[in-house]
Amino acid sequence: MIVFIALLLVVMAFFGAPLFTVILAAALLGFYNNEVDLSVIAIEIYRIASTPILLALPLFTFAGYLLAEGNTSSRLVKLTSAFIGWMPSGLAIVSFFTCAFFTAFTGASGVTIVALGALLYPALKEAGYQEKYSLGLVTTSGSLGLLLPPSLPLILFAIIAQQMGYGEQVAITDLFVAGLLPAFLMLALLSAWSLWYNRNDPIPRESFSLAHVKTAVWEARWEVPLPVFVLGGIYSGFFAVSEAAAVTALYVLVMEVFLYKEIPLNRLPKIMRESMLMVGGILLILGVSLAFTNYLVDAEVPSKLFELIQDNIKSKIGFLLTLNIVLLILGAILDIFAALVIMVPLILPVAMQYGIHPIHLGIIFLANMQIGYFTPPVGMNLFIASYRFNKPITELYQATIPFMLVLLIALVFITYIPELSLMFISH
Amino acid sequence: MQKFINALHTLEDSVLVGILLSIIFLAVTQIGLRNLLDSGIIWGDSLLRILVLWVALLGAMIASRMDGHISIDLASRYLNEKWRHRVELLAYLFSALVCGITTYYSVFFVYYEYLDNTIAFAKIPAWVCQTIIPFAFAIMSLRFVLSALRHLQGRPPETCLSDDIV
Repeated sequence: MIVFIALLLVVMAFFGAPLFTVILAAALLGFYNNEVDLSVIAIEIYRIASTPILLALPLFTFAGYLLAEGNTSSRLVKLTSAFIGWMPSGLAIVSFFTCAFFTAFTGASGVTIVALGALLYPALKEAGYQEKYSLGLVTTSGSLGLLLPPSLPLILFAIIAQQMGYGEQVAITDLFVAGLLPAFLMLALLSAWSLWYNRNDPIPRESFSLAHVKTAVWEARWEVPLPVFVLGGIYSGFFAVSEAAAVTALYVLVMEVFLYKEIPLNRLPKIMRESMLMVGGILLILGVSLAFTNYLVDAEVPSKLFELIQDNIKSKIGFLLTLNIVLLILGAILDIFAALVIMVPLILPVAMQYGIHPIHLGIIFLANMQIGYFTPPVGMNLFIASYRFNKPITELYQATIPFMLVLLIALVFITYIPELSLMFISH
Repeated sequence: MQKFINALHTLEDSVLVGILLSIIFLAVTQIGLRNLLDSGIIWGDSLLRILVLWVALLGAMIASRMDGHISIDLASRYLNEKWRHRVELLAYLFSALVCGITTYYSVFFVYYEYLDNTIAFAKIPAWVCQTIIPFAFAIMSLRFVLSALRHLQGRPPETCLSDDIV
């Protein structure tokens, strides 16, 4: 009976029922089966209100939506071009860095492809890059930067780990540090590969000009301080993460509406509504998943899962390899937030039994998810890019594959060299 | 009737906007007070946490109005028109049922808390803050039913996706 209903729930998820209803149903069923009063579900949802760090979520999300709505994307491209555009394959490298930075602040909700890709794709083609290369670049770069602070998935991973009682080992600030080297490794490998790939194409190089730098910095004068005080504030310990989020939200609001005057006041309610729609979706899934996780722990599912896995996989390397494959598939099918709240509670205890540091696991998890975004046949960014650039999806499969291979190499390094993530953390 | 519903939607959106603005300003005020005057509103942080719950559930309510919830939705990509229609209808009804059950049991939760008379912050009792839970789930359940009905009549939902965000 239970198996039948569980299957039914999976079918419902594939039929397009909101994920929160599927998880909620699973939790209700579990509690009912254990003869627990079902009003416990409301207690679990109310836990959203007893988790201080969640405050950061609506605030960073709102700030990200505002940034996406204004002209920050084009100023960012200009600024980065002024500094590194003179290098060979300059515009390509500029694209990687701007996309990564933009995604860190706005989340990989497809907004990078829409806002930056639409800007970079024509520019890349005009500069002489091959069409296929340009298309692959903008599609893959839509999720680059997930590992850079203050990306929401990083925060969410920390929140889930803390809810599970691993709070001491998984501070958000540590996770913010841990993602830096892996993210730069990805950027470096992509840049190196681009240099090699475009070595024979006659792409005219721009010359470096101090005047350009000055204009670009002046144009972006209100944005330049943003990462400095957000990240500086967090790393120096002056701000807690949720405080940094509050300051960021207010600062970006004032910047876009009053300083750059790019967003008229009457557009604000719509932007607020859209951003909170996303927050509502994420937090609701988080709330019901906490309930479901509690049921799973009661039913000793993680320890059973561990026994099952250990019977089949003896070594840490084998476990990591399996983990990578499973996560790549999941990343392609599931929304990143849903994947986090569903999979982390199951995987984290198991991974720790294999001696994997929870922060390292978080970085591996998100690195996989990042690649999952454009893993054929169903990665979300493939569909967004196909829609946005009006290209058949099969063309996108071909265009992204080389980029995917480069990032898979980075993933191997990230997975099997824990020091990349843990070097600067006392553990 | 449609006018009345539109007015309700506007009210709903306005409350959401109001709460988000309150969150931003209250949070920044707290930081200012702490760093400049070494003080702060005692119940400020508790209120902030409750507001996050409210903003989340209101956002979720609006998401179900606009078909904006996170879902997997693989089947509809591979099914033909007729079957996709059936499958979506089933998904709506399922969601309505689950939210309905949750509403029923969260009413009990709020009632127990009312009997306990616990205080959330300042002099506001906890049950008042919690009423949003059954309320939001009731509205979501209703909306999934309405979506199912609309689906049967072949009308599209109000969409949440603006032109620039795919």
